Amino acid sequence: MGLESLTAFFQYGFMRNAFLAVLIITPLFGLLGTMIVQKKMAFFSDALGHSALTGIALGVVFGIGDTSLSMIVFAVAFALLLNFIGERVAAFDTVISVFSSCSVALGLAILSAGGNFSKYSSLLVGDILSITRGEILYLLGIFAFTLVFWCFCFNYLNAASIHRTLAKGRHIPVKLMENLFAVVMALIVMLSIKWVGILIINALLILPAAASRNISENMREYHFFSLVFSLFSGILGLFISYYTNVATGPMIVIIASVLYFSTYVYAGKRNV
Amino acid sequence: MKHKYGFVTLLLIAVAFAGYCFTALYVGSREKGEERFFVVTSFYPMYIAAENIVGDAEGVTLTNLSEPQTGCMHDYQLTPEDMKLLSRADVFIVNGGGIENFLSKVAKSYPDLKILDASQDAGLLEDNSHVWMSVEKHKKQVENIARGLCKMDEGNREYYEGQEEAYLLKLSKLEEEQKEIRSKIQGKSMISFHEAYAYLAEDYGLHVAFTLDLDEERQVSAGEVSDVISALKENDSAVIFAEELYGSEMAETVKKETDAKVCFLDTLVRGDYSSDSYLSGMEENIRLIKEAYGVE
Repeated sequence: MGLESLTAFFQYGFMRNAFLAVLIITPLFGLLGTMIVQKKMAFFSDALGHSALTGIALGVVFGIGDTSLSMIVFAVAFALLLNFIGERVAAFDTVISVFSSCSVALGLAILSAGGNFSKYSSLLVGDILSITRGEILYLLGIFAFTLVFWCFCFNYLNAASIHRTLAKGRHIPVKLMENLFAVVMALIVMLSIKWVGILIINALLILPAAASRNISENMREYHFFSLVFSLFSGILGLFISYYTNVATGPMIVIIASVLYFSTYVYAGKRNV
Repeated sequence: MKHKYGFVTLLLIAVAFAGYCFTALYVGSREKGEERFFVVTSFYPMYIAAENIVGDAEGVTLTNLSEPQTGCMHDYQLTPEDMKLLSRADVFIVNGGGIENFLSKVAKSYPDLKILDASQDAGLLEDNSHVWMSVEKHKKQVENIARGLCKMDEGNREYYEGQEEAYLLKLSKLEEEQKEIRSKIQGKSMISFHEAYAYLAEDYGLHVAFTLDLDEERQVSAGEVSDVISALKENDSAVIFAEELYGSEMAETVKKETDAKVCFLDTLVRGDYSSDSYLSGMEENIRLIKEAYGVE
């Protein structure tokens, strides 16, 4: 395999699209992942991914041509509702589980009507060919939005994640921050779920940040490594999946897992 | 803790290198030579038909898009590998009738790719594209494929025509056999557990009393089971045509409830790539149908 086969990669429109999407979306995964891991919201984002099924189902029921739209609307509502209820109960993880299973059941029930679920099974493992030009524009938009959000709100979010009451006492709009964060998460998850797949999207959010947390000592390192790991596994995963004919999402996650375990072992030895 | 950056750099290089080696190994084992005329078929029955026409024609490479065990193309998802394959293809032979539901995607990505629809004028049943199940209609498909290939690869025209004639002769033999049975069982009833058998019913002049489409990943509700059983009670001599892979559980259930005869027929969408597999599969189906209806 020489250089010419590396460039062969870019001959295909769909691979160019996929490559652009990976370049845009994996840094976002790395960025958001840091906060998800820190706030112990892994389960939350998992539930969010699962809600995509219901979003699509609702789109189908209401006859909306572009199911991405119904998916996004539903996920945003889902995330806000979860936040809203989560504040009022003690056992948040139970609530998440209830929400998640409810929405999966609803989605499955609607989509499997007529015994035709297999039509949607590509959603579970993802389909790299589903990335279109238009979707990349959406991704760019959300990329810019997230960067702005992160620049202005990260300190608040961080404060809230360390000590909620204290942050409130310092007049930080904790609720607003948390809701905004949930919305950004919902948007990113929904825009990438079609090619990553429902089953593993959460791994992409969690693994780079978790690997980075293994070895970093401060926020800056934490962000830096998370971004590097995320981007690295995204690009390498895309390349390998292209040449070996396996689904892209799983390949990316496998690489991210290797990184996680390596950093875990390294950190264990060094006591970071 | 300055070692950390060194470690991460090393780790990333190591993983990338391992990934590269693994990929290179994989790609190296699959590298193929250049071809003059490259034919891609969509799935198994099309491959077998094309294989019989192409034979050992010079400079022609024939490849199947899906694996021989993929089965029906419903809900098939194209992989990047498939797209690469199609980008090299000179002609893409499809069954048509909507069974390759990714076709519009392909046509959009490769507007120059010639798509040969084998079931043109073959007499598709409504909403049912399993045309190859009817020997008579499959002959039309074979003719379509042969004609298309002759047009696109003039140099091998004579060879293709010879191959076509030989294969059609074999298919006609099957057709004769079927006609003989048809005269004895015409008008009898059958219950179908797969859409594809509608074409068989047509070939044999059988009356389809009930159809339950047990396809890949299809879940059956209890209500449907009772529908089948009541249909069986109304037509007590009906034979159930079922597919081994997806219909056998259902067939066993129904068998327990009634004393219906079950005939496990091949839908001819899976198997090895030997060129006689359509003929032998159909031959076996004919034998089973004869047995089920007690034809001597």
